Amino acid sequence: MTTTAAISAALHGDNALPIRPVDQVMDLERLGAMHQSRLSFMRTLVRCIMRERWQIEPQMFELDEQGYGTVIYKVQTPNRRYSFVIFSDYLDSDKRNDRVIAEQWDLTMALVDGDVDQEYLERLRSNVPKQEAGRVDSKVFVLSRANRSARNFDYVVDQLAAGKQPCIEKIAEVGYLYRTTAVYGSGKLGMADWEKVHSHFTDFNRPFSAEMFVCFMLRSFSLIQAEHIAKQRSPETYKPMQKSIKRFFGIGNSTGLGMAPYLINHPLLINRWIEMRELALARVRVLGVIDENIENRVRELLHRVQQYTAQTVTEDALQTSNNQQLFEDLTHLKHHIEDGIDSWSELLALSETKYSLQTQEMLVSIMLELYPELVDELEDHLVVEESLDIDPLMPLKTLKTVIETRYKWALSYDFSQPASRETFWYRSEEKMEPRLGQASIELGKDRQMALGVAYAVRKCYDQLCEYTAVNPVHHTARFLTQQPKLRGIVRRIQSMSLSTYGDIQANLLDINVLPMHLLRCKLAFFGVGKFDPRSKLWVRNTMFQGAPLLEDIGHRYTDDWFMPLTPVTEHLQEK
Amino acid sequence: MHVSMVELKACLRRCFEASGYFVGNYEDAANMILWLEKHGLNGLAELNRTLPYIYQDQDKEGSTIIYEDSTAAVIDSHNRSALNCIAAAVDLAHAKALENGIATVTVHNCHNRMFVLKALTDCGRRGVSVVAYWKNGTDSITEYTAAIKAGHRYPSFHEGRTNMSSDSTHKQTLTIICSSRVDLTSSLQHAKTNVNGNSMNAQQVELNKEKSVEFGIEIDEALWRQINRIGEGVLVESSQQSRMGAG
Repeated sequence: MTTTAAISAALHGDNALPIRPVDQVMDLERLGAMHQSRLSFMRTLVRCIMRERWQIEPQMFELDEQGYGTVIYKVQTPNRRYSFVIFSDYLDSDKRNDRVIAEQWDLTMALVDGDVDQEYLERLRSNVPKQEAGRVDSKVFVLSRANRSARNFDYVVDQLAAGKQPCIEKIAEVGYLYRTTAVYGSGKLGMADWEKVHSHFTDFNRPFSAEMFVCFMLRSFSLIQAEHIAKQRSPETYKPMQKSIKRFFGIGNSTGLGMAPYLINHPLLINRWIEMRELALARVRVLGVIDENIENRVRELLHRVQQYTAQTVTEDALQTSNNQQLFEDLTHLKHHIEDGIDSWSELLALSETKYSLQTQEMLVSIMLELYPELVDELEDHLVVEESLDIDPLMPLKTLKTVIETRYKWALSYDFSQPASRETFWYRSEEKMEPRLGQASIELGKDRQMALGVAYAVRKCYDQLCEYTAVNPVHHTARFLTQQPKLRGIVRRIQSMSLSTYGDIQANLLDINVLPMHLLRCKLAFFGVGKFDPRSKLWVRNTMFQGAPLLEDIGHRYTDDWFMPLTPVTEHLQEK
Repeated sequence: MHVSMVELKACLRRCFEASGYFVGNYEDAANMILWLEKHGLNGLAELNRTLPYIYQDQDKEGSTIIYEDSTAAVIDSHNRSALNCIAAAVDLAHAKALENGIATVTVHNCHNRMFVLKALTDCGRRGVSVVAYWKNGTDSITEYTAAIKAGHRYPSFHEGRTNMSSDSTHKQTLTIICSSRVDLTSSLQHAKTNVNGNSMNAQQVELNKEKSVEFGIEIDEALWRQINRIGEGVLVESSQQSRMGAG
């Protein structure tokens, strides 16, 4: 087991591993080129479920023939019992809306600590379907909702009812039956705070593991519900879906701007996630033995990733171009390693000179895939206490040097150019939905969210220079009694300068900022696939595609659903 | 009504942001209120008393240091709420204590001084011991003191109502003693003038926190509506154009 001390020694000091430099790793475009990996939260969660053989059984299954009603799953882990509650309601297709402003959904769900009795179920029934308009208590620790995929759901039910299997090519286009449109955890709407989840619910004390579990359960339910409706409709001809096809169904997800403020407002946590991923990569580079088995596995993974890329459907021009480049780079890479691999560091260096960012980061994910013994244990170190502290005794001269070194990137922007501050991020009066505005044509810049870290650093630096010219020996605490407006940014600068990777390096106020990079970075940590940007502001993607099913728990598990391919059909249509 | 700690904090942040608090200060203010409430020290009741005045602070002069030497400082906060100035004063005491072993910072004309407890606790967590003392009232004075040892997570708190009346030197003053070398503790002297004392040791403070973590927080609905309403000041009107910026 890796200790905190061992991790610290690997990241800092004389015996540190060769982690990639901060200016390279924290570049926004590179973060936006990340892919899922062994350390992604979905992978971590599923490993835990499979290793510990969680017992997940329906405790109540009251669905009518059209699939509407209530279902409760009992979730028994070695540590505790939970309940997953689903309300399935009729939704007029005119009201089906994936945006945060929607007010009704096909499914609403809650993950609850302990058992749910009839009285508590009624309380949930009065509140969970209302989502933001409802209130729950601290027994609940995730709330979510989902809408049916209009294209797929009815088709799959029709096929199963007719005794046929769904067409693989059709599923490859849209690999899910439901899209989740929001997954709320950690204290929202009266739920248990993260502090409780982390300290009381050890099964879910890794980042977003409870939220990921709800999506995993939603995926399971979606398949069971489709089969239930098909069976009710035509019991004589109905046939259940084949397992290999079931596993290829994931759960859809639409992610918008809400994730971007999260990344900026939790800098120590994001730094930690990046640290563990980079530490895993450094371990592989230094400690990863390269033998024939590993070389064969690399070839197999490269082939799989190339196929996966070819099977990814998107109408977005930039994503299409990125995918095409990735495909071409992988062809080159496969050719390059035909005679073997001498060194991971050399291969990584080659990728940085020859391939796109997407390919470089895909190579990182593949390298992590090869060495579970070097990578997986780092999943236990993804949580960090998020307190940014002022260092009151830091001399102002030191603070100035910290900015000039760790925030050189922020000082490189010319904020006298209007375009550098044209974008502003704000909360709309419509359900506090996060939105992007253009300062030259829209009102609201005066109420923008404080996401312009680079600009704040620039202003702080300029005022610091003026102040130190008059008071060269003052320390930070003295400075802040005179400059209270700078308290937030000084606290951030001092705290992040102690971290390995620090802040995301980008001017989020720039006219050309691409929020998609932020969304993709966080979604890659979640472990999603099949990125399908619908604009520069929101993206569709697929979760848990290829993951094991509930009925796979307790059986052999290879943890090999990285970049899952369409299942081999074997004349499935008539089976 | 029942709320979680994180949604109370988010709501308070919007409330203070909309009230003209700076980045950094509105987080501090929200954290100070939440800390008191979470630890059983009535942060929401203190907030209720503060709310009618929170807009006024943006027009007031900033804190000024009116005396300073290596181990002491006197700050005039110009009748500001502790919510937007006391953290900086504690930081100054913290810095001087780190430099010289022990330091005293006196803050004059500062309201809602109860909120100092969060800043004081942060010092303890970071290895510096702190004591704070202040008093309230005019006809009969109530005294307060709180203390935390170096490296500890929870402070002790004492409140004692006295038969003493205020004198002309009472200027909404708070005294902070901070040390990186000496573990400081505090209690109110049980002089015959002290009546109706109220004490909470560090263990009780911790137990209160555990209860809040387990069950969340209860808040008066009218207060919840009020801070939400104030917080709406940070929201931007929706328009055809703004909907195009939604993700």
